[in-house]
Amino acid sequence: MIKNINKKNSGNTLIETLFYISLFAVLSIVLIDVMIIMTKSFKETRIQGELIQGSTILERISRELRQADDFSYGSNILTVNTKDISNNSKTVTFTFANPNIQIVDSVLGNLGNLNTANISVSGFVVSPITTIKGKAANLSLSIRSNNDSTNRIENFYNTVVLRGDYQN
Amino acid sequence: MNFFLKQKNKNKGSVMVEILVASAIITACVLSAMAVTQKSISVSRQALHTSQVAFLLEAGAENTRIARDNAWSNVVSLNSSEQIGIFTRTVVASSVNRNATTGEIGSGVDDPGTKLITVTVSWNEGGQSVSKILSFYISDIFS
Repeated sequence: MIKNINKKNSGNTLIETLFYISLFAVLSIVLIDVMIIMTKSFKETRIQGELIQGSTILERISRELRQADDFSYGSNILTVNTKDISNNSKTVTFTFANPNIQIVDSVLGNLGNLNTANISVSGFVVSPITTIKGKAANLSLSIRSNNDSTNRIENFYNTVVLRGDYQN
Repeated sequence: MNFFLKQKNKNKGSVMVEILVASAIITACVLSAMAVTQKSISVSRQALHTSQVAFLLEAGAENTRIARDNAWSNVVSLNSSEQIGIFTRTVVASSVNRNATTGEIGSGVDDPGTKLITVTVSWNEGGQSVSKILSFYISDIFS
C-alpha cells in the first residue's frame, strides 16, 4: 500500500519540482537585476552628493570675495585683500593646482584644500569686472567626482560684487 | 493510515498557492525597493541642480548690482534672458510704487529710484520644467 501511494506521488512532484525550479529561476533573475540596479543607483546618488560639494567650495570663495577690499588674479592664484576681525588688513589666497584648490590665510596659515579627496577640481577661472563705483568678479568652477567612471563635469558659476571696495 | 494520506493530498494544492502568494509578495517588495532607489537618483540629481541654480540666482542679483553701479539707466529697462548650460536665466525689472508720506512700498505713486528685480532660473528636470525665483528691490543709491 505504501509503495503504491509513493508511486502515485512521485509523478506529481516531478512537475511540481519543474514548476518550482522555473519559479525560483525567474525570481532570482528579477532579484539579481534589482540588486544590480540598486548598486548602480547607490553609486550614482553618492556621486551626485559629492558633486554638490562644488557649492561649498564656491560659497567659501564668494564669501571671502564679497567682504574684500580688493583682489588680484593671475596664473591660477586668486589673492583677496580683506580685513580680519579687528579690522587689520590680511590676505587670503586661493591657489588652483589641478585637481585641488588650496586656501592660505595670512593670519591663520595654510588651511588646506577646499575640496575633499573624493572630488577633483578641473577648472577655476576668475574674471575681474570693473564698474564705475567699484569692482566685481565672475567665478566659474568645474568639478568632477573621482568615483565617477564617466568623468562628468559639473559647472558652478557665481558673480560677486566686492562690498569693501565701495568705501574707496 | 488512510486519514494521514488524505490529509497529505489535501495539503498539496494549498502549498502551491502559498508559494505563489509568498513569491508574489516578495516580488512586489523587491520591485518597490527598486522604484525607491530610482526615485533617489532623480531626487539627488535635482538637489545638485538646485545647488547650481542657487548660485545662478545669486549671480543674477549681483549682475544687476554691477549694472546699477555703472549707471541706473541700465537697471530701469532691464529685461534679459540667457542660457547657461541646461539653465535659462531671465532678469526682469518692474516699477515700484511708494507711499509719498510713509515711504512704504506697495501703494502710492511710482518711485523712479527703486525697481523690483525678479530673477528666474528654469530648467528641465526629468521631462518636467522646474523654476526658482529670486525677487528683491534695488535702489538708485549712487546718483
